[in-house]
Amino acid sequence: MTTPTTAPVHHPESEQRDSLDQAWQVVVWNDPVNLMSYVVWVFRKLFGHPEHEATRLMLQVHHEGRAVVSSGPLEKAESDCHRLHHHGLWATLERV
Amino acid sequence: MTEPFTRSGDMVQVHLSRSEISVLEDLPELVAGEGDVGGRLAYTAHPGDAEAEARYLDLIGDDLDRLRAADRKAFAGGLGATSITLEVAEAWMRVVGEARIVLASRLGITEDGWEEEAERTRDPEMALLGYLGYLQDALVGALE
Repeated sequence: MTTPTTAPVHHPESEQRDSLDQAWQVVVWNDPVNLMSYVVWVFRKLFGHPEHEATRLMLQVHHEGRAVVSSGPLEKAESDCHRLHHHGLWATLERV
Repeated sequence: MTEPFTRSGDMVQVHLSRSEISVLEDLPELVAGEGDVGGRLAYTAHPGDAEAEARYLDLIGDDLDRLRAADRKAFAGGLGATSITLEVAEAWMRVVGEARIVLASRLGITEDGWEEEAERTRDPEMALLGYLGYLQDALVGALE
């Protein structure tokens, strides 16, 4: 058994590639203003969820303070986050 | 009581009084940059990671501002019309929602459960917040 004797080489470009390929999740946070009916409508509109799933996610946001509404590579997650912001929802990104 | 918005095929019929339209004419200004004094509409995608946030902001550029400006333009252009397209109705819904967020920020609303107090107050901005909620809910109903 042996251990590496050379220091790891820093590859910024490959790190960026790893970040892009890594799974990310989009989190929607509770806020006291947006209507429940509107949040359900947004989840259905943006993610194509059936009403019961959109309602389940909305209630999770309301009762637990947050819910993961989508996930995927960084590019997709950021696009989803951007669309949620355009609809006035408080969304952030997290690594899975 | 007539619903403020009713669906008719690919259009949404608008049933608002002149006084209601007069109130709504001020919304685009309310949600434009200087109206959002609390910065509530300045969202962060990567909180706690300044480098990732800078890259994200560089990626989206002014797209969010452009989309919001287009919504405000569609909203203002539709005021006074007796019917609006579904796309314009969606823009209305977003502008009304942003106005509610800005108003709530001005009123110091940060937690759930503010509605009961809102019913007791005579604050005009609180009354507007409630009225806009009624309108947005009606728009959701018309667009579903």
